[in-house]
Amino acid sequence: MAAVLELRNVSKRFGGLRAVRDVSFQMRENEILFVIGPNGAGKTTVFNLISGFLHPDEGSITFSGHDITQTEPHESARLGVGRTFQIVKPLPTLTVRQNVMLGAFMHTSSVAQAQGEADKILDFLQMSHLKDFPARGLPLAALKRLEIARALATKPKLILLDEVVSGLTTSEALALADLIKRLPEWNVGVVGGVEHVMQVVMKIADHIVVLDYGAKIAEGKPEEVVKQPAVIEAYLGPKYKELVR
Amino acid sequence: MKELRGAKLWITIGLVALSCLPALVVENNYLLQVCFRIALFAALGLAWNLVGGYAGQLSLGHVAFFGLGAYGLAILASHSVPVPIAVLIASLLATLVAALIGKIVFRLRGPYFTLATIACGEVLRLTATNLNITGGAIGLTVPTVFTGPMFWKLYYLSAVALAAGCFLVNFWTANSRFGYYLMAIREDEDTASAVGVDTANYKLRSLLLSAFLTAMAGALYGSAFQYIVPDNILTIDISVQMAIIAMLGGAGTLLGPIVGAILLLGASETFKTQFQESHLLIYGILIVLVVLFLPEGIVGGIEQLLRSRRKAAKPPAPTPNQSPAISAVEKGN
Amino acid sequence: MVHFLQACMNGLLTGALYALIGMGLALIFGVMRIVNFAHGSFLMVGMYVSYLLFERLKINPYYGFIAAGIFLFGFGYLVYKLLIQPIRDRSDFMQILMTTGIALILVDTAQLTFGADYHQTNIDLVNRAVHFGPFTLNAASLLSFGIATVFIVGLREFVVRSRTGQALRAIAQNRDVAPLMGINVTRIQGFSFALGIAFAGIAGGLLLPALYLFPSVGEDYTLKAFVIVVLGGMGSIEGAAMGGLVLGVAESLTSTYIGNQWALAIDFVLFLLMLSLKPSGIFGRQRA
Repeated sequence: MAAVLELRNVSKRFGGLRAVRDVSFQMRENEILFVIGPNGAGKTTVFNLISGFLHPDEGSITFSGHDITQTEPHESARLGVGRTFQIVKPLPTLTVRQNVMLGAFMHTSSVAQAQGEADKILDFLQMSHLKDFPARGLPLAALKRLEIARALATKPKLILLDEVVSGLTTSEALALADLIKRLPEWNVGVVGGVEHVMQVVMKIADHIVVLDYGAKIAEGKPEEVVKQPAVIEAYLGPKYKELVR
Repeated sequence: MKELRGAKLWITIGLVALSCLPALVVENNYLLQVCFRIALFAALGLAWNLVGGYAGQLSLGHVAFFGLGAYGLAILASHSVPVPIAVLIASLLATLVAALIGKIVFRLRGPYFTLATIACGEVLRLTATNLNITGGAIGLTVPTVFTGPMFWKLYYLSAVALAAGCFLVNFWTANSRFGYYLMAIREDEDTASAVGVDTANYKLRSLLLSAFLTAMAGALYGSAFQYIVPDNILTIDISVQMAIIAMLGGAGTLLGPIVGAILLLGASETFKTQFQESHLLIYGILIVLVVLFLPEGIVGGIEQLLRSRRKAAKPPAPTPNQSPAISAVEKGN
Repeated sequence: MVHFLQACMNGLLTGALYALIGMGLALIFGVMRIVNFAHGSFLMVGMYVSYLLFERLKINPYYGFIAAGIFLFGFGYLVYKLLIQPIRDRSDFMQILMTTGIALILVDTAQLTFGADYHQTNIDLVNRAVHFGPFTLNAASLLSFGIATVFIVGLREFVVRSRTGQALRAIAQNRDVAPLMGINVTRIQGFSFALGIAFAGIAGGLLLPALYLFPSVGEDYTLKAFVIVVLGGMGSIEGAAMGGLVLGVAESLTSTYIGNQWALAIDFVLFLLMLSLKPSGIFGRQRA
């Protein structure tokens, strides 16, 4: 399967802290890939690098043949990279529908069309009844879905879901995971996610990349990756890696 | 929602027709002058609203464009350029300056941005005070378009026309993609970027539009009073007034700046006749009260009220799989 | 050369008072991130207080400024509690508007109370000069310089060494964590605001002998104060002190070599330059 997104030897430093160290991986067409790892491993930083909110100190990032290493966020978005934010960023005084319309406006300048698009997506995410409510004051579960809806409205080829299930109950998370699995229905070829909730990851991931202290320590199919000693050590500490053998 | 907007348009068309009434009814020149200023400041408030209300950028330097419009008209007219053309060129020049200013100030956020806009306005004032072409501290005369007994009536109608034009621009903005993008920038610039909005570009566009309209108002004002000095036409007080009018009425709303202009100038006129020069005190108190108790402004507050009444009418159905505990905890996110 | 140094020295003398004003605003804006557009107006209040003490009680402003400072401390605290604290968490937009409103109220109240006329204090010291070598310095300016320096150093020591000063800096760095360290954030913030305003009042009192007094005399100083804070680096009290001196010298040199009327322009030019090139200020570190 063709690689849609490729990171090659990407590094990012914040002062003395090396947040991302020589990370390389690919996201392929028709694939759901999750980046996992302990807290502080650099997962969200990687997403920020891909979507243009940060720029790497070293390495390159290519997307569908374009070099997006130094592009600005709005440029990446227009090339087809959609994203959600780990700490939700709704437009508080606008309604749910208006929030989603904002994404739809990337492909149309007609307010009526944007409205239609937004309504369709809200329907898919089972949020139609919240259409006219201002985003401010909505519960977290709704806001997380709103993030996805808004990104989906931009008709991305690749969508980056940054911890979209954190803070949800298990049943809410699994329900959302089912919806994520259906994203290809919307022509989203590639789905990338950062997650801590392993049930979701194991349920829907095709491929996993594991980061620890900014470096990639494992990659592969979910069932294989979670058995690797390095991964267990990263999450649970050196004691437990012995248990696997 | 749509019906409400349709109704609003008709209401405002009616209001515009109504506001032409003073031209027919009022004979007192001083009162007509007051009406002129109210209409002009309504236009200014609406112009400011594009940048400050929709895009959420608190500019306190708009007087720069106001003054450029007035001075542009005066200088061009003194070189025999016919007045209407001079007004147009002056406004375009102001827009050019706005592009320059925008490049500098939009790189800044929050109070730094506001301070930079103030600095720009003040630099212009100082420049006008010290250059010969602008007449220095003595100022310049500005040609009039109308003469004769109908002077103030015609100027008043011109101001109403300008205000109506500014209103239309606001109306178009509010219902277009341009407006949505501006509002997104106001609410969260990162989110706007993430959905493909070139925030710097759109902020600049709103400024250019706003500057053009402000400059036209400046030219009209200068023409009506026939004489301009830097301390009158480039004073930071005008920038502040524009912002307050919009905020008091409701920044980011359509009718807000109009309501704000009528209220603020009306109040200050009333107090001027009663209490001499204490209109600044009234402004100050009004601002403090609005900030404390009515931050959405008058029209904004009313809209909020209507919205919550509508919400109360139909209680929200719960999100699927929603846990009440989580929603209670996460209200503040 | 002498000419140049003379201009620099004059600049330093004014600069010390600017430093006071700037440090006051640095406490308020830099530390608390409250955008105080009324700073200059409070300075004006300080001037009027000193003026009243001089007119009615014949108290020399070089003593009276203390009373101005104390009065403005209390007044500042009151304003904070009633008007600023309720909107502490609102946007900068709102704070700018609120403090602008406060400024308008202060200025117009002064006008209604004292009239728009210019007032002046006639202190003998203003007319005397001190000579050393080829240089001449105004005696009154020298005295304010001395007094101002005492307060500058005093404030700096206070912020760096005292427990309250450390609490202040803790709040500046991380407002959410500070209470976990046992800091009463509300009280310290109120104190900080009051102290900042008090310094504006002290500067006002010291400026009184040198200036004409009228209701809007303070307006220029609000902007100057922000220029100083930006020059010095946001939140840095010491930076603001340096910034004040730098501004004083810059103005003085501009006056001497380019012309008096452009002195105010240099404020803005420096301001815009600083914001465009090095927003963290001459002495500031990069801040989020």
